[in-house]
Amino acid sequence: MAKIVSEITLPINGMTCASCVSHVEGALKNLPGVSNVTVNLATNKANLSYDPQRVKLDDMRRAVEDVGYAIPTAELTLDVRGMTCASCVDHVEGALKELRGVQEAVVNLGLNTARVVYVPGVVSTSAMKRAVREVGYEAQERSEGADALDRERQAREDEIKIQGRNLMIAGIIGLVVMIGTFYEMLGPLKAFIPEWLSYKWVLGLLTTPVVFGPGRQFFTNSWRGLKHGVTDMNLLYATGIGAAYGIAVINTLFPKAGFGGEGATFFESAALLTGFIILGRWLEALTRGRTSEAIRKLMKLQPKVARVMRNDREEEIPADEVELGDVILVRPGESIAVDGEVTEGYSAVDESMLTGESLPVEKKAGDAVIGGTINKTGAFKFKATRVGKETALAQIIKLVEDAQASKAPIQKLADWVAGHFILGVHLLAVVVFLFWFFFGYQLFFDPNSSFILSPYKLGEIGVFGFSLLLSVTVLVISCPCAVGLATPSAMMAGTGKGAEFGVLFKGAEAIENTSKLQTIVFDKTGTLTKGEPSVTDVVVSEQSLVKDDQLLRFAAIAEKNSEHPLGEAIVHGAESRGLQVVEPDTFNSIPGHGVEAKVKKTEILLGNRKLMKERSVDFSAMLTRAEALEVDGKTVMFVAVDAKPAGLIAVADTLKEYSAEAIKHLHKLGLEVVMITGDNRRTADAIARKAGIDRVLAEVLPQDKVEEVKKLQAQGKKVAMVGDGVNDAPALAQAEVGMAIGSGTDVAKETGDVILIKDDIRDVVVALEVAKATMRKVKQNLFWAFFYNTLGIPLGAGLFYAFASVVISPELAGLMMAVSSISVTLNTLLLKNFKPSVGRGHKSKQGSGNTQLRSATASVGDD
Amino acid sequence: MEHEQVEKEVARRSALIYLPISIGSALLFLLATAFSGDYPLMTRVGGMVWIGLLTLIVSMPIVISRMKKQLQGKSS
Repeated sequence: MAKIVSEITLPINGMTCASCVSHVEGALKNLPGVSNVTVNLATNKANLSYDPQRVKLDDMRRAVEDVGYAIPTAELTLDVRGMTCASCVDHVEGALKELRGVQEAVVNLGLNTARVVYVPGVVSTSAMKRAVREVGYEAQERSEGADALDRERQAREDEIKIQGRNLMIAGIIGLVVMIGTFYEMLGPLKAFIPEWLSYKWVLGLLTTPVVFGPGRQFFTNSWRGLKHGVTDMNLLYATGIGAAYGIAVINTLFPKAGFGGEGATFFESAALLTGFIILGRWLEALTRGRTSEAIRKLMKLQPKVARVMRNDREEEIPADEVELGDVILVRPGESIAVDGEVTEGYSAVDESMLTGESLPVEKKAGDAVIGGTINKTGAFKFKATRVGKETALAQIIKLVEDAQASKAPIQKLADWVAGHFILGVHLLAVVVFLFWFFFGYQLFFDPNSSFILSPYKLGEIGVFGFSLLLSVTVLVISCPCAVGLATPSAMMAGTGKGAEFGVLFKGAEAIENTSKLQTIVFDKTGTLTKGEPSVTDVVVSEQSLVKDDQLLRFAAIAEKNSEHPLGEAIVHGAESRGLQVVEPDTFNSIPGHGVEAKVKKTEILLGNRKLMKERSVDFSAMLTRAEALEVDGKTVMFVAVDAKPAGLIAVADTLKEYSAEAIKHLHKLGLEVVMITGDNRRTADAIARKAGIDRVLAEVLPQDKVEEVKKLQAQGKKVAMVGDGVNDAPALAQAEVGMAIGSGTDVAKETGDVILIKDDIRDVVVALEVAKATMRKVKQNLFWAFFYNTLGIPLGAGLFYAFASVVISPELAGLMMAVSSISVTLNTLLLKNFKPSVGRGHKSKQGSGNTQLRSATASVGDD
Repeated sequence: MEHEQVEKEVARRSALIYLPISIGSALLFLLATAFSGDYPLMTRVGGMVWIGLLTLIVSMPIVISRMKKQLQGKSS
């Protein structure tokens, strides 16, 4: 029997570091029938494939909960219309429970409601409504409810609130405990503080609620994980806080026990350590959400309502209920609900949020509109062509989310290191304890030594207290939380930044590979060039009386009925110059040579040299000029009027407006640029010269492009192939990075690792710069994360104690680790200021057609 | 159900390995203190508890995850 495999993305709550990632991955992988598990710390999501016959969602939830995390559920109340009896209740409940992701469905007939408990992201509210509708009832969300964005924000706000409250308790009490501990050193300030605050038992009473209140989370989470065979950074904290608190309690209650007595009652360590760790968590919750701002912005674009024409009347309905073929009315300033095609009206639409195109794009009947973009000037009606998950915006959001959920190779390594780090740190804590207990204390201990940034002396601490302190400090200072955040937070910001400019990376690996590129191979036709011939030169014969425009007009009239691409280029060239191209009176095509036509007694002959020779038209005076044009890769056509040489018209496939600029920028970035084409060498060289390209691979058949890419790779180069995602798909797939350009908004169908929505070659530069900036951030983050640990561990282990007689206190170690996480996140947030070097502000040709946008508010819908 | 039973069995069999390892390390530490210096009794006991706890923390996840792989490999 064939194996059934489904894919699912589960939200995971409670992950704080890279080791959490490996625990959740491990827990899910251990389930029978589960494979391809990828957990992302930054998005708090797990992607996996599973066999629904072997494993249920409940099993996954239990497995995740068993290791100390949670798959959050949300609750939704639907108003259900049309229920009349108990069997209706069964039908509705049954329909809802059958949906994947619905955990509980309870229908209340009296209230006509259905309360649904479900896993957000696995099942949507529209799917629930559809399921109810399919069994014959109507359902609507009871409240303006929580969509994915709101829920995610809510979860983050809850975390901020909880940790904020914990921080307040631990911070205030910790401060009081610190004042009490250092009472003797306060000098004249002692007059303002009651002496009893320095009593050890008072300090103990104050610290206890901190450890068992705000600090409780570390103990419960680490125990849950530990009993299922997993360790995370909660364990480091729990061991650290627990040891500091435990020894302080023993030394307070039994000062003669031999653990250092009253000189080793570090209640302030336990209280402040808890406070600092929670400070780190709180700040992290505050800043972490901001790295996903771009996706949030995209999600916010999703319109809530649409004005649909039904039975000749406007009806406002939720945007997710628009159906294919619905005609939707859009007024000035409104968002376009779904993708569609304009049927009536005229307007300008701001598409910058999806394509990065800075100018509004003209829309008239027949033009496509994209859901989520904003109508600017006029009103129009359009027919929905793509709705729900099929819309461009939904596809882009999915693509960006998937990219953010994926792992770059560098991240896999960082996760592995962080995942194995915690056990290593505990082993190190054992070694540190044994060293100081058996050797270090006797060799190096100085009773006058103190903690860094503290006047507190370690005189009475004793061998056990001293060794324990250093061992605990190592545990706290080694927390790899910053290592776990370094890569995913930067990748999230980078993919989001790319999307802002219409550059979509299909995964974190695409970003990493793009940043390492050395050679960019461009397909010529349609990528570097416009892909269709156009008139480049009009040269009038000195012997002729006709002028430029007249010559072009005659040529266009002669070609008016021709279907040859060169003929079409001449007609288009004449029309774009505003010349009137009338129908010829007679027309004759001369296959392989040219055309002849007659208009108002003027005879026009247009074609190649051979034709002119056959008709005895002497072009000898213009042959040098014709050859020069041909050397430039242009196709030259000879025009004779009334059997006399009138001039030459050159036609060529021309470079796109920004090709040369983009190539220049790529060179500045130190990249080799190669052009690949099936054209002959002369034409290819001419285009390459104009574009400033280093190397040309000419006369390459489409099927051989893959081989050329392979040859470049064999030279040890990291190669990107830029082309259209259809014809060049094999070469795009072969290259380290395939960039599909000008795909428009049907991004889901595109091949390639990077999708450039606009047909603007400068976006290749943007993609490279975003990737390089992102990887720069990743490396900076990893540097800072490892720097803190590399510096902190020897300090914590007392490596410098022999020379300096100072050690780091556990609470200072906690503060350092909090700072490391925050510095990594703040560094990532600097990516928000990224601006590509290519000028994106000025108008592109694409958008330049809308020179005179007229307001069409009166034309539709405003009556 | 089967999954829960496997989990219980994993926990039971793992405890039979990591507890002796932890207790053994703690006792070894106690023994070492007897031969390597004049430590007060409570200092020795404190060190023993700390070493036992750290060894438990290190050995528990290693043993449990190995045992899990072993038993789940057998059951599938």
